[in-house]
Amino acid sequence: MNAPEKVLEEFEQIDFLRDRHVRFFQRTLQVLPERYASLETTRLTVMFFAVSGLDVLDALDVIDRNNMIEWIYSLQVLPTEDQSNLSRCGFRGSSHIGIPYSVKGPGVLHPYDSGHVAMTYTGLTSLLILGDDLSRVNKQACLAGLKALQLEDGSFCAVPEGSENDIRFIYCAACICYMLDDWSGMDIQKAIEYIRGSMSYDNGFGQGAGLESHGGWTFCAIASLCLMGRLEEALSQRELDRIRRWCIMRQQSGFHGRPNKPVDTCYSFWVGATLELLDVFQYTNYEKNRNYILSTQDRLVGGFAKWPDSHPDPLHAYLGLCGLSLIGEPNLRKVHPALNITQRAFQHLQQLQQTWRDNAGTCT
Amino acid sequence: MFYRDRKEWADLEPVPQDDGPNPVVKIAYSEKFSDVYDYFRALLKKDERSDRAFALTAEAIELNAANYTVWHYRRVLLQALQKDLREEMRYITDIIEEQPKNYQVWHHRRMVVEWLNDPSEELEFIADILSQDAKNYHAWQHRQWVIQEYKLWDNELEFVEKLLEEDVRNNSVWNQRHFVISHTTGYSSPAILDREVQYCLNQIRKAPHNESAWNYLKGILQDRGMSSHPGLLEQVLELKETHCSPYLLAFLVDCYEDALENNNQKETLNRALEVCEYLAQEKDTIRKEYWLFLQRSLESRFECIDVLLCQGISPLLKSDIKNGV
Repeated sequence: MNAPEKVLEEFEQIDFLRDRHVRFFQRTLQVLPERYASLETTRLTVMFFAVSGLDVLDALDVIDRNNMIEWIYSLQVLPTEDQSNLSRCGFRGSSHIGIPYSVKGPGVLHPYDSGHVAMTYTGLTSLLILGDDLSRVNKQACLAGLKALQLEDGSFCAVPEGSENDIRFIYCAACICYMLDDWSGMDIQKAIEYIRGSMSYDNGFGQGAGLESHGGWTFCAIASLCLMGRLEEALSQRELDRIRRWCIMRQQSGFHGRPNKPVDTCYSFWVGATLELLDVFQYTNYEKNRNYILSTQDRLVGGFAKWPDSHPDPLHAYLGLCGLSLIGEPNLRKVHPALNITQRAFQHLQQLQQTWRDNAGTCT
Repeated sequence: MFYRDRKEWADLEPVPQDDGPNPVVKIAYSEKFSDVYDYFRALLKKDERSDRAFALTAEAIELNAANYTVWHYRRVLLQALQKDLREEMRYITDIIEEQPKNYQVWHHRRMVVEWLNDPSEELEFIADILSQDAKNYHAWQHRQWVIQEYKLWDNELEFVEKLLEEDVRNNSVWNQRHFVISHTTGYSSPAILDREVQYCLNQIRKAPHNESAWNYLKGILQDRGMSSHPGLLEQVLELKETHCSPYLLAFLVDCYEDALENNNQKETLNRALEVCEYLAQEKDTIRKEYWLFLQRSLESRFECIDVLLCQGISPLLKSDIKNGV
């Protein structure tokens, strides 16, 4: 229905509508209509897109940070009195299970309540972005919950009840360990083996071994290795050069996720950030990338869509902004390409981690 | 009729969602939606194992098929109540046809197939989904799982060839080709490798501007000696005249690089640098900076021995430094 290619006249100035995007994210954080029902279990990730988006826009002052922090903490699955649910701890995506609102422990015993790895990841990043110090996060419980999700082949499931397992959740796990500064939550070696095993004959990464290479999974692979500090240990220079080539070939105007597929705004971040992590983003064509992203901007309601003349959504709105940030769009905060938060939020994390290390030192 | 008004449900206390005083990203549900899910939450809390619970999961799924907790609870009930799994297969088939890009439905199907230990419907079902969207990642993933788990390799290459005839640019199908061959005959026999090389070149003759075919060709040769495959370089140079593309030229650069690694010759390096220049300035200008970067890297790595000797530098030492040894 919507053709991704839109030829722009040379004289056409596409302006970046900052205020519309701020309002788009504000509305996202408030109320969504019922047609968004499929987002219920992932509401925390939607919050992350909006909150991080506002951070990139340097507009966090428009929201009530403290109230939001409370809501996030109400999603933490805390250990019960007898600690029998440790392997199920982490953060929920929303209140959909029906646990009564509470921001403190002990946890409530419920046969089906457990964390979800992507929610633990976005819960922690959202708290950081909002300026929280993570002091109410039960780190050991989160890590126990994380450990329970890793499979023999090194990949992760999303929830302890069982789910599909693939490289996306390795990325979530790596982010969690990185933020908590504690890699006891995962077997790094096995994760690296799974990541290597996901490299395709064409030098991109698929969701798992044998699967088609894809911009999103390639980001997960490379960003995870960077967060682990193992990029050059896991991949040879030759392999890295081949991966650079696969990634850089994804630029058509904006970027697509797989050869011979249409471009899509979100890949300006997935592939762009990967190229940045591999030190070759500087060799891409910024103008064509920018023109494409802005062609998907919704001039009325704000946000960005995957294609021009399509409906915007929080994911594309956020990743479109991140894509623009990578090329140095003025008035946008810089984004940490592996962790996918602003450098500002990242510095807050670094300060926190220094405090933890200092405190650990004084406790002995 | 709302569940809250049904007398067979009067024993259950509905459980509302509780987001506290400041909900974020709140979804505004209709009364009907809330009613179904309030009762779902009530069942979940009790961990009730009953037919009425099973029936309700279908309604909850219809309202939100992405709710993984509902699917998990449904699986618990399928086993606890010993439900007819063949009927469940029919059910999940219908749901996937309606929502083929949802993770939960494919995972559910995989679980049911595993319980039945019966993959007999899978290849046909997936082929049907692919006929509607030939690049559906979930469908291909499920297909690879079924084939590998139940060793259904026999007719897959034929399936791949049929789809490539329909669309030679379908990257998912090229990937599947590699999947099938690497798990069956492999690429180590010269006969197979040559067959695949020729297959690629034939597809390229039909549709030259096809990254997938070139990626496949490079993929199967890159660790088996690109520049040493007999007659290949010549064939590619021939194609360059009539079937040129950025992918052909990039492949050429890679051939030259491979040749240089085995035998560093000034002439080969010059050719490689020329192709990079051609790509940067004319044939793939969107990646101009990248091709110029590659040109500089090649130049730096393979600076000729005679140049180095003139500079009074031992060539081995300098290249060691450059390669980070």
